[in-house]
Amino acid sequence: MPQNELVQNLDLDEYKYGFVDEEAHVFRTTPGLDEDVVRQISKHKEEPQWMLDLRLKAYKIYMKKPMPQWGGDLTQLEDTLDEIYFYVKPQEQMERSWDDVPDKIKTTFERLGIPEAEQKVLAGVGAQYESEMVYHSLKEEWASAGVIFDSIEDGLKNHPDLFREHFGTIIPAADNKFSALNAAVWSGGSFVYIPKGVHLKTPLQAYFRVNQERMGQFERTLIIVDEGAQAHYIEGCTAPVYSTDSFHSGVIEIVLKKNARFRYTTIQNWSNNMYNLVTQRAVVNEGATMEWLDGNLGSKLTMKYPSCYLVGEGAHGSIMSIAYAADGQHQDTGGKVVHAAPNTTSSIISKSVSKGNGRSTYRGLCKVHEGAINARSNVECDALLINDTSRTDTYPYIEIEEKRATVGHEATVSKVGDEQLFYLKSRGMSEEEAMALIVRGFIEPIAKELPLEYAVELNRLIELEMEGSVG
Amino acid sequence: MMTHSTKTIDPPESANATSSLDGIAVEHIGREAPDWLRERREHAWSVYGDTPLPTTRSEEWRYTDLSRLLDLEALRFVTSNETDPDAPLPQLLQDAMTEDRAASGHSVLVDGLTVQVDLEAHLAAQGVVLTSLRDAVESHPGLLQEHLAVGALPAEEGKFEALNAALWTDGVLLYVPAGVRLELPVRASRWLSHAGSAVCTRTLVIAEAGSQVSYVEELLSEDVSEQTLSSSAVEIIAKDGAQVQYVSIQRTGRGVFCQSAQRTLAHRDSTLDTLNVSLGGSVSRVDLNARLLGPGAHSDMLGVYFGDGDQHFDHNTSQDHVAANAGSDLLYKGALDGSSRAVFRGIIRVHPGAQGTDAYQTNRNLLLSEDARADSLPNLEIEADDVKCSHGASVSQLDSEALFYLLSRGMSRYQAERLVVVGFLGDVLSRLPLGGVVEKVTQAISRKLQAHG
Repeated sequence: MPQNELVQNLDLDEYKYGFVDEEAHVFRTTPGLDEDVVRQISKHKEEPQWMLDLRLKAYKIYMKKPMPQWGGDLTQLEDTLDEIYFYVKPQEQMERSWDDVPDKIKTTFERLGIPEAEQKVLAGVGAQYESEMVYHSLKEEWASAGVIFDSIEDGLKNHPDLFREHFGTIIPAADNKFSALNAAVWSGGSFVYIPKGVHLKTPLQAYFRVNQERMGQFERTLIIVDEGAQAHYIEGCTAPVYSTDSFHSGVIEIVLKKNARFRYTTIQNWSNNMYNLVTQRAVVNEGATMEWLDGNLGSKLTMKYPSCYLVGEGAHGSIMSIAYAADGQHQDTGGKVVHAAPNTTSSIISKSVSKGNGRSTYRGLCKVHEGAINARSNVECDALLINDTSRTDTYPYIEIEEKRATVGHEATVSKVGDEQLFYLKSRGMSEEEAMALIVRGFIEPIAKELPLEYAVELNRLIELEMEGSVG
Repeated sequence: MMTHSTKTIDPPESANATSSLDGIAVEHIGREAPDWLRERREHAWSVYGDTPLPTTRSEEWRYTDLSRLLDLEALRFVTSNETDPDAPLPQLLQDAMTEDRAASGHSVLVDGLTVQVDLEAHLAAQGVVLTSLRDAVESHPGLLQEHLAVGALPAEEGKFEALNAALWTDGVLLYVPAGVRLELPVRASRWLSHAGSAVCTRTLVIAEAGSQVSYVEELLSEDVSEQTLSSSAVEIIAKDGAQVQYVSIQRTGRGVFCQSAQRTLAHRDSTLDTLNVSLGGSVSRVDLNARLLGPGAHSDMLGVYFGDGDQHFDHNTSQDHVAANAGSDLLYKGALDGSSRAVFRGIIRVHPGAQGTDAYQTNRNLLLSEDARADSLPNLEIEADDVKCSHGASVSQLDSEALFYLLSRGMSRYQAERLVVVGFLGDVLSRLPLGGVVEKVTQAISRKLQAHG
């Protein structure tokens, strides 16, 4: 399509739909997705041509790829995708000062405790509202050390070479249907660069909020951890409960250079009307260590399998996950480790709790390529079932092409024991308190890895969830 | 002791009584059958036609690419006319039968046709039935109508199940009346000789309440010059309190595609154990589904495989806990040499309401060479909460400590490796101490190891 025609089309659309919503957004596309929506997003972001081309190509891939036939139930999702807003711009520009963030949005994040946390324990904070980062800040001491912590859009604008070198190389659009969708309509997310040898002492945090009903959020994060650098990144997400379903599909790409060390922590607490289909992958080079800490508590359906591609000698990958599936929820989560170099090691520890008619599924892959000599991998999955209507599944894929490799997988399923309950009740606990204590004990090995305030939050959630779960 | 012959068999010169796998074959084989059987075959054939060949897009066939490994179009359907029941039995088969001397009864099939059946007279007097399926159509129509390819393995189960239900030429019916206990196992030997053919046979074992029986079958052939399909359908029913052991030893030659669909139905308080030993063939696929249908039922499911050259083994198992308070315990172990490849996919399904289930599943693989490969998918689907379930899978190389110990005792590396492999696999056999079987399998493994010299 010629450029002038494109602009005309856009103008028409903007004329029709480009009104400013008094509530919270300055622009949104029409519900559903077509090529024009993709063009409008790119136009609003004032992107270079190559990015528009990449988006359009990804859109075609998305349209061509069939819906996955495995994992969770996606039969209702196609209808949802016709109705949601793919791009909702909450304000004109991203703010660097908290005071400049619009009051309504500010109140939301204040209620979530974000500014307070920033002051106390974080090196930097990013906050995304609908489709855009509304706020991003990084403490001066880290900025002067060369750390970049920005919205993904500013990453593209301000660091075009570094951005282009890595964007879409770790998770190409064609990787899966939803990575294609994300590449076509991505908006928001973080761009992070940790320079050689810099050790961030406190975490960076990104907070994701969906407020709009029938919203689709497609954040895209690119993280580059240079040689010998160390950092910890935390993401949290929430949304209000609506009667219609919303959709969140992020893509997180991480590169760890030689001897780097990086931890990515997710506390996913979307409302129960959210489809959460996320692709997260780290490429781990020589001597580097990648750790995924994945907590999935919310959403209607989550399909998310953080992965480590161990491509350098001696690289290490670790995935620790907790899934909590209550009534109406399906947590289809797990992890993937691919050993493609000698002396690489990995570990996956997964714990899930299913309650009511909730279903938690562990789905994982451990692959050792030929030549990855002395690769070692261990996978442990434990599932706890609270009610007789709860369900758990375990689907580990183990593919070994190298003789000099050692790979193990163990899984157990159990219920809360009557004896344990009886003992605690005899000590004066109510059944609910006892149940919550047992569940907390079960997830404790992973919960203790969380930053304190999250561990507290997790415990509080479990207590809330346990109310009315027994008897 | 016999050695594995390298002689290969060529396709038969006269092809008069053969056809491809098509409707004519179904018509031919159903010609003299009673109506119920002809209809059952025709129905199965229509299911076969409607069922596409599984592809690697299906989870159950993810690592076994049939489009590459099997050419159904090229196979010929061999009718009984080609088998001379009076011809002398091949040496390899005779040797195997000699090892099976101690038995309650024997059944010998050559190219899908029974050439010999015998049963101890005192067992026959107690009502035990051991007969060829072809004869059973006449002699025990009631049993076949009730059970054959309907209860356990109907044609609808899949492409191969449908093929077998349409085109089975013969097989074994073993019926044990209530309370009758067989001291010695029943032995069956099956021999393949027509290269390029498809041979479909069925086994139906019905153990009435409180009875006890062991059934050991062995599948044998020389190497074949053209791909040959052996299709087996095995249906085993253990009624209340019955104890049944089923053992399958697969020792066919290279060029054979061995497909075996097995389903066991374990009723209240019964024990129904299985052992699959896969050593031969170019491709070996076993689909074993154990269904625990009554409280107190228990199934031990054991498997051993040892691959070399470019052999491909695929064991697809499932443990269906339909009833509460039943148990199942699976252990499959394999060693892989050369560029051989093993796939294990196992699933424990605890159905809603199956409280008190105890179900376990373990798959262990030993990679002996650079080019060997093992894929393992031990799955769980649990829909009841009061259960004890676990699974484990591992892939590793030879235990270096054990090797070191043996080397330090003066063994050669070759001897030491053999010993460790035999020990690794023998661990499974020790769990099913069945007279003659352990020795037979251990010997077969040793012979295979020797061939690597």
